[in-house]
Amino acid sequence: MILRPRNELWAPKQGNFPDEYEDAFRCAPPEAPTLIAVADGASEAAFAREWANALVDAWVAGPPELAALTEESLTAWLAPAQEAWSASVPWERLPWHGEAKARAGAFATLLGLAVSSQDSADGALRWRALAVGDSCLFVVRDGALLTSFPLDDASQFDNNPDLICSNPANAGGLWDSARLADGECAEGDLLILASDALSRWFLAANAEGERPWEQLAELDAATWEAWLDEQRSARALGNDDVTLAMFEVAQDAEQAPR
Amino acid sequence: MAYTADISRTNPGCFLFLIDQSGSMSGALGGQPELRKMNGAADAVNRILDAISQRCSQGMDVRDYFHVGILAYSTDEQGNADVRSVLPETTPDAPFLAISRVVDAAQVEERQVREPDGAGGVVDVNRKIPVWLRADARWGTPMCAALAQASSALRDWVGEHPDSYPPMLINISDGAATDGDPVPLAEEIMATATTDGNALIYNAHLSEMSAMPVQYPSDRSELPPDEYAAQMFRMSSEFPPPVADAAAGMGLPVTQGSRGYVYNADMVALVQFLDIGTRAASDLH
Repeated sequence: MILRPRNELWAPKQGNFPDEYEDAFRCAPPEAPTLIAVADGASEAAFAREWANALVDAWVAGPPELAALTEESLTAWLAPAQEAWSASVPWERLPWHGEAKARAGAFATLLGLAVSSQDSADGALRWRALAVGDSCLFVVRDGALLTSFPLDDASQFDNNPDLICSNPANAGGLWDSARLADGECAEGDLLILASDALSRWFLAANAEGERPWEQLAELDAATWEAWLDEQRSARALGNDDVTLAMFEVAQDAEQAPR
Repeated sequence: MAYTADISRTNPGCFLFLIDQSGSMSGALGGQPELRKMNGAADAVNRILDAISQRCSQGMDVRDYFHVGILAYSTDEQGNADVRSVLPETTPDAPFLAISRVVDAAQVEERQVREPDGAGGVVDVNRKIPVWLRADARWGTPMCAALAQASSALRDWVGEHPDSYPPMLINISDGAATDGDPVPLAEEIMATATTDGNALIYNAHLSEMSAMPVQYPSDRSELPPDEYAAQMFRMSSEFPPPVADAAAGMGLPVTQGSRGYVYNADMVALVQFLDIGTRAASDLH
């Protein structure tokens, strides 16, 4: 079995320009992704977009060993991304107001997903996920929400999520805020990754019995912005950068049936 | 619920500073004889504006989450009120600039400051310090004229930003108004409102008396024995519950009923608990 991309949609906070979008999303390889990541740069930090991108780039380049993750291996995995971020900051040209903020480092959430059939005896596809902060993974099976990770209730979202810092000196507490989860995939499962505003909307709608994944599955590039406007006007969706990535577990057409 | 509006570029927040530059401000600051009140006032404005600028900074650029105005007040030799708008290309009737233009207007000085070295010690480093306001002190204290000017400017601002977070007025003075009772004018400003709540007045009271600093008292009994403290206290807004909660959450000594009044104390923390998006974690410490 493989993951088949269903929907990849994003939008900046209303009133912001597309180049001010500070979420980031990557998946690889494109046709049948095995590595997927969403990061959400903290809007108050400097160079947050660069940091969110460095994190998702690092994830698809090679995630940490999730089955045996330790504080040391997570910290070591993060180091090249932190160096890449630092290399992207124009330190010599920083204005006075940017200096202290850049020194403190940028902050972002990370939700990384890896799927593989390697560690299951029967060849079944398994997912493993690492989360720091409030970007969420939802697994929907047989018309019901099976897994919600790392948050599972709309009331858990606020303006102070756990964050990963681009400055190693300010990255203390990372291990305490890292969450791990894993599960088995079944054909027809929907795996949905979303940044915080959409995750919060999803959990609130699910709590109302509204089957939010059905709405999301129907969206495409043509209907996305109108849908966002409608949800934001109704105050159902907070005004924030929004990222949605949806995948379906499917039989691999290229694999010969047994 | 009031005081919950998102501060954004579409609905920016607003700070209006009123700075007492009367002759009495040349007196020494209580407990810090090497510092004059007028220097304390200028430092306070520059430090709060620095903090606001930092919060809006994205590194290279600054997002216009706030509009800022600075009105300085004193009289001339004959006692005529002189209320001046400090930021470039502004007037007392239209004192506001978007924060990106405020940032551009800063005069940046390099100063040596002492910072923690991360290993338990301290180290002297050169930092760029922005300056908008220079110390000055001359003649009388037309606080009523300044408040009337502020009231008019804030009414205009609220008319243009009806759904914004309510504007915040920060008055920095030693409290000795020479043109009447400022309390009714302060009450008029506190009655100015957006759909998100009434304007808030914060007073930073600078005094020559070396009494203990006071922060955000809720009762007159907590006030220092300064003859103007009671009046400045009455001119200070009580923190609305959501603001008091946010301030207490950031570690400020604020309880329900606390007022936006500090005495010979720092007010920079006031800008830290305003929500303008996902916080950078370092801001919390």
